[in-house]
Amino acid sequence: MSELLQVTNITAGYGDGPAILDGAHLTVEPGKVHCIIGPNGAGKSTLLKSICGMLTIRKGEVVFNGKRLNGMRPDQILREGICFVPQERALFPKMTVRENLRMGGFILDDHKKLERRIDEILERFPILRERAEQHAGTMSGGQQQTLAMARTLIIKPAIVMLDEPSLGLAPKVIQEMFDIMKMMSAEGVTVLLVEQNALMGLKNSDWGVVLDLGRTLFEGPAGDVLADPRIQELYLGGNKAA
Amino acid sequence: MAAILQILILGLALGGVIALMGSGLSLVFGVMRIVNLAHPSLIIAGAYITYWAFKASGVDPILMLPVSAAIMAAIGVLLYRLMFERETNSVKYSEMTVLLTFALAMMVEGVLGGLFTNTQRVTSPDYATEAFFIGDVFIPKGQLYAGLVSLTIITALTLFLKYSRLGYAIRATTQNREAAELLGVNVNFISILAFAIGLGLAGAAGSLVSFVFSFFPAKHWEWVAMLMSVVVLGGMGSILGTVVAALLLSVVAAFVGTWIGATWSTMTFFLALFLILLIRPQGLFGEKPEMA
Ligand SMILES: Nc1ncnc2c1ncn2[C@@H]1O[C@H](COP(=O)(O)OP(=O)(O)OP(=O)(O)O)[C@@H](O)[C@H]1O
Ligand SMILES: [Mg+2]
Repeated sequence: MSELLQVTNITAGYGDGPAILDGAHLTVEPGKVHCIIGPNGAGKSTLLKSICGMLTIRKGEVVFNGKRLNGMRPDQILREGICFVPQERALFPKMTVRENLRMGGFILDDHKKLERRIDEILERFPILRERAEQHAGTMSGGQQQTLAMARTLIIKPAIVMLDEPSLGLAPKVIQEMFDIMKMMSAEGVTVLLVEQNALMGLKNSDWGVVLDLGRTLFEGPAGDVLADPRIQELYLGGNKAA
Repeated sequence: MAAILQILILGLALGGVIALMGSGLSLVFGVMRIVNLAHPSLIIAGAYITYWAFKASGVDPILMLPVSAAIMAAIGVLLYRLMFERETNSVKYSEMTVLLTFALAMMVEGVLGGLFTNTQRVTSPDYATEAFFIGDVFIPKGQLYAGLVSLTIITALTLFLKYSRLGYAIRATTQNREAAELLGVNVNFISILAFAIGLGLAGAAGSLVSFVFSFFPAKHWEWVAMLMSVVVLGGMGSILGTVVAALLLSVVAAFVGTWIGATWSTMTFFLALFLILLIRPQGLFGEKPEMA
């Protein structure tokens, strides 16, 4: 199989605290949308933080493009091409849209190239272009999430990890966010997202991962996860009406 | 009319110096969430460095400013690595930094007292006792120079924060430390840098203060309240807010001092601090405090 990122049975936690993840695994294939679901406190955010280098991996392995990422700092992992957008507060509220995009390319050394990429992004996202000089914190939730996603594209990443990009957004706006994700994956940017609304997330993804109590219960094509009776009962029951 | 203009000019000139005194405090709070209670005592240390150079070999205080700033910035790097670096991940970070900076203030005061005694000092270059006259309005050269130098430094700081790559990193770290780190900013380095700049600003302010106010080691207790009111009114962490608040309060204090009585002048700052905390704790330019 041609996996891009392989997480094998990792154990991780915060500081000296207990292991939050224990036996989490994950396969990420290039150009697809992957969705991690699971109840509150399952360790979904912790898994993304472990991959991007914010937490120390105690056991197991994270391998990206054949390279071991264990022990690397967040900025090193970013330079490898893995970009993480954390839950909720991902932006700099008192910086303008343009300044936020500039921060997105902080690791780029070529100033001219950075400005060119910013213009490209603004060209592609008219909502952002109209608000280029507006403070990010004064935009609507959907606009902010669009900016957070667009900002990852500045460095032309291989994988973009999004932690609950739909949080607090209206259903119509959530669909727009998923459309942006699909556009990203169509362009070859692999997406790995965490989603509370399992049904919505899986319907818009190619691959599903079910996490509970810090371990991976099930992983497979999104359609299979959706159809699995155990998953239906455990995580999709409340969402049938939706 | 001339009287009002007179008070306004004096208030603005002193306000400029107070803005510089507060800007380092504001920067350090903004980036690191450290309420540096030792900041005013470090301004006094800068004033003593300047005073000593003037006494020993007649070095002009304004020429001494970069030296004082550099010395304090270097001390800042040492202090940060010694005192705060390993506390950054502590859950008791805020409490710890308050206690640590309080202890530091006492220590600096003690050392300065030991070195220079508790006598009132003031650096006395010629311009400190000279004045310009425009009609009936007189402008003391010392205060004018100090005010102008202060505003120049603050302008340079603002441009640095607004346009340089490091300035971007400092602002980003101030607004969202985690996001900055995720975008490749070395937030620990930025913290050291911001702390060093903060103390450098204290050193610079010390040089100016040395000929504008008389000082002695324990004087910082008076200034801590004054600077707190400026920084809080300015919205904790906003440099522009700090400048506006310093100019505003200083002008009000100048009017109060002239019309009501000199003893009430300093009270302006304390009363302002009290009122701001009651009415608008986020200050003029700050956002509503968030639940962390
Ligand atoms: N900074 C932290 N320090 C210590 N423990 C933490 C920290 N963040 C999360 N945890 C713990 O880790 C566990 C998993 O949290 P995590 O945020 O990964 O869950 P999640 O699956 O993302 O949940 P949610 O759907 O609510 O976002 C929880 O028990 C939580 O208490
Ligand atoms: Mg989470």
